[in-house]
Amino acid sequence: MTGSDEVHIHPRDVANKSAKENLTKAIAMALAVENEALRLNTQTFNANRYTALSAIPDYEELKSRARAIKEDSIERLPELIATLTKAVEARGGKVFIAATKDDANNYITNVCRMHEAKLVVKAKSITSEEIELNHALEAAGIEVAETDLAEFILQISNEQPSHIVAPAIHRSRQRITALFKEHFDTSLPLDTGEDLTEFARLILRQKFLSADVGISGANLIAADEGCLLLVESEGNIRLTTQLPAVHIAIAGIEKIIPSKKDLGTFIELLAASGTGQPLTSYTNILEPPLLVPVLNLNGRSDTRREFHLVLLDNGRMTMRADTELKEALYCIRCSACMNVCANFQAVGGHAFGGECYTGGIGAAWTIGTSGSLEKGRFAELCTGCSRCVPNCPVRIDIPRLNTAIKQRLITLSGGPSLQKMFFGNFSIVGAVASLAPRVANLIAALPAVRSVMELLIGFDKRRPVPEFGRSTLVRQYREHSKKSRVQADASMSQPRAVLFADAYTNYNNPQVGMAVVRVFEKLGIATTVSATMAEGRDAQSQGLVESAAARAVKTAAYLETFIDEGSDIIVAEPSVLALFRSDYKALLCNDTLFKKLRAHTYDPIEYLNAFLSQHHRDPRTALRGMDRNATRIFYHGHCQMKTVGAGSAAVDLFTQLGFTVIQSKAECCGMAGSFGYKKAYYELSKNVGDDLVRQIRAAEVPGTQLVIVASGTSCREQIGAEYAGRKIFSPVELLDTLIRSGE
Amino acid sequence: MSAPSHTELLKQFTASAVKAVATVEVVTADAEALNAALERATAGDEHVLLSEPDDLDPALLRVFLKNPKVIIRPTREQFSRVPTGITDAFCAIASTGSVCVAMSANYTSPMSMLTRKHIVLVDSAAIVARPSDVFSTEIHSGTGLHRSFTFITGPSATADMGPLVRGVHGPAAVHIIVVEHSHDRI
Ligand code: SF4
Ligand code: SF4
Repeated sequence: MTGSDEVHIHPRDVANKSAKENLTKAIAMALAVENEALRLNTQTFNANRYTALSAIPDYEELKSRARAIKEDSIERLPELIATLTKAVEARGGKVFIAATKDDANNYITNVCRMHEAKLVVKAKSITSEEIELNHALEAAGIEVAETDLAEFILQISNEQPSHIVAPAIHRSRQRITALFKEHFDTSLPLDTGEDLTEFARLILRQKFLSADVGISGANLIAADEGCLLLVESEGNIRLTTQLPAVHIAIAGIEKIIPSKKDLGTFIELLAASGTGQPLTSYTNILEPPLLVPVLNLNGRSDTRREFHLVLLDNGRMTMRADTELKEALYCIRCSACMNVCANFQAVGGHAFGGECYTGGIGAAWTIGTSGSLEKGRFAELCTGCSRCVPNCPVRIDIPRLNTAIKQRLITLSGGPSLQKMFFGNFSIVGAVASLAPRVANLIAALPAVRSVMELLIGFDKRRPVPEFGRSTLVRQYREHSKKSRVQADASMSQPRAVLFADAYTNYNNPQVGMAVVRVFEKLGIATTVSATMAEGRDAQSQGLVESAAARAVKTAAYLETFIDEGSDIIVAEPSVLALFRSDYKALLCNDTLFKKLRAHTYDPIEYLNAFLSQHHRDPRTALRGMDRNATRIFYHGHCQMKTVGAGSAAVDLFTQLGFTVIQSKAECCGMAGSFGYKKAYYELSKNVGDDLVRQIRAAEVPGTQLVIVASGTSCREQIGAEYAGRKIFSPVELLDTLIRSGE
Repeated sequence: MSAPSHTELLKQFTASAVKAVATVEVVTADAEALNAALERATAGDEHVLLSEPDDLDPALLRVFLKNPKVIIRPTREQFSRVPTGITDAFCAIASTGSVCVAMSANYTSPMSMLTRKHIVLVDSAAIVARPSDVFSTEIHSGTGLHRSFTFITGPSATADMGPLVRGVHGPAAVHIIVVEHSHDRI
């Protein structure tokens, strides 16, 4: 039994992450208590989302339209607020613009008092959590019944939401049963989801039938018609907004879009991106006050309907003026970026979140609405794996936003820590170590040194320090070209590939680089290796943006000379490939150069596939003579590589070569560059890795060989830690090995 | 891309609605046929709440309306007690299997949200391809732009208590009767 006995931390006590300690404690609590339910539920949403999105034929266009509408809305926000106010007032509704949470709470409490409300039914609204509305109402002696079943659970457990769409996603059925048994005086078994649902339904039905006022949020509001969009599955929003004669809706001002006819775009994206359903059970389009009779099932004799729209600023206008935080205002709170996130799947929003906003997008929201940068410290849990980026329906670059937040936190703390300096300058560490790699490896392995490293830079002792190759790629290539005088292809039409000697490949994995060289030469691709250069990957991942940008500018200029000579750039390390193809856009501030680089950088296997298909060569003939004893491959694609579109290259090639390829379902291996080395995040990183290792174990068939292939250096390290003595291959190394053993 | 035919839309709608755990039947636009379908669907119900249709041809309910179990103007007590409600929908969506039920003066909303079983009547000519079509000015003269309504997609459901459970605050069952005019078949 995992349980609260093990870790006596209440999620509320560690909700405020301004103290680093709270973040660490929350991670420990979540891993011990909430992990199983979180992983099961988020991964179900995640898998369903992929299915639902694949059924939308024009998904990319829809996203672009949604993005454009949101950009336009935030741009025209003051004007839209005025239009909306007019539309609601024209129908007899009231609009109140609340500058602060107190303003909002006071207004809502007053409306309830005016109606002598004793009981308020409430539908799920994260915005109401933001302003702590329940406290305010209860302080005024008004009972609040949360009617969304997840919020009903949280009201009993006094926990904050762990997910913006499914706020009680961290509780398993068993933990809900235990909670109800403790809280309610009941002898019912409550041992199934049906039991629990029926039990809560009956309690809440009584509340619905006697409530005086209904309070809801809104997913979006169309200014032209004063129209609210409210998405749900349980039916509690319908009852909340339609049974009592008085309806109050509270929403952030960023929820306003210009026109009702645009709601369709968002409706098609929201549920599919969130829970992965084409539509949820109820998608409500409401223009209150409604022109329908009041039923007065509560025994009152209200004769007309009343509607109050509370539009909340509470920091949003400041976010709007902030070039970076402004991005978060486009968020439509679908939760895709949480469900797809490997770290979120492991610890959920109690650790990867603040007092009400959760996940990768949650830090910007927490900072924006609380005015406290330090409360957004959980941005640290964003590893920059980028899996959320292609899944965000409004195209928010969430990792970039978090890099900016990390950078601000560094500035706030008076400069980068030793840890950040170490991991952010790994290319320099590598350069120094490569002068005497054997000594460096020996020193790095000394227990005393490991203790000092852990103490000073938080490099977890349980992780082996990445080994430095005996000789760098650049040196090995020099030797190789001296010996084997490649038949420099006379024909100028031959493609020329320049393998970029990134720090990881050059210092730690020269064998991967040499595998590229050998395989390419075997196919007749003239290949050279570039000089090594700090391209900025390390700095970028630590939020050292300025230094990353300086490195980017230098590297891009260097690589451009090769491209201008007609070469393509091969990048063996997936995170560096992703850096060139995506992060350089912001780092370079030079779109022409960025696009040029993006068009000419390739993953080795991606390049090989393109080369073969361009020359109409079947890989089976081109690689004839290759060793074919192994037949089954488990392949884990690097997170960032999947995002920049090179994720399936190895699967395609090895499948064409006749292998059975079992693909990993893990979004990320958990190492995510330097993340897994840090002492504070070791357990989390291992937990994410274990999810991947379980899949590999499940793929093993006794008596047959399973070759484990992973494209990233850190992915191979994470897997390798569980498979001592077994070689974990990069795709190109496997190809090289098979070719050589067939010869 | 050519617009999908009426038959294709109906087929797709039926498949999507079934996927969303609703049940669907198609009957010819005839008061007797509809009566027979409603009799079947409400067999065993002592009383049923019926909302006078806003969009469907009211003549189609002529026969069923004579059934003594039908309640059109429920009392408060009947609203909180009768487990079956019948409403029409002004539109249905092929890609999602949803029906669009307006919030009208005829109690469509309470009859479809307070009950445990919701029976929806929709004209087959009102099926559109996808949700965004409902808001288009060309479709049904832009009715979607001029009213409050709910896209209802299957029964109410929750995953908040662990496993997926159907039947929460809203109905646990949704039965859709598509009324098909013979001339639509062309
Ligand atoms: S970049 Fe990766 S770690 Fe960061 S929020 Fe997105 S999915 Fe999560
Ligand atoms: S940031 Fe994007 S993916 Fe995340 S909740 Fe907001 S809209 Fe959805």
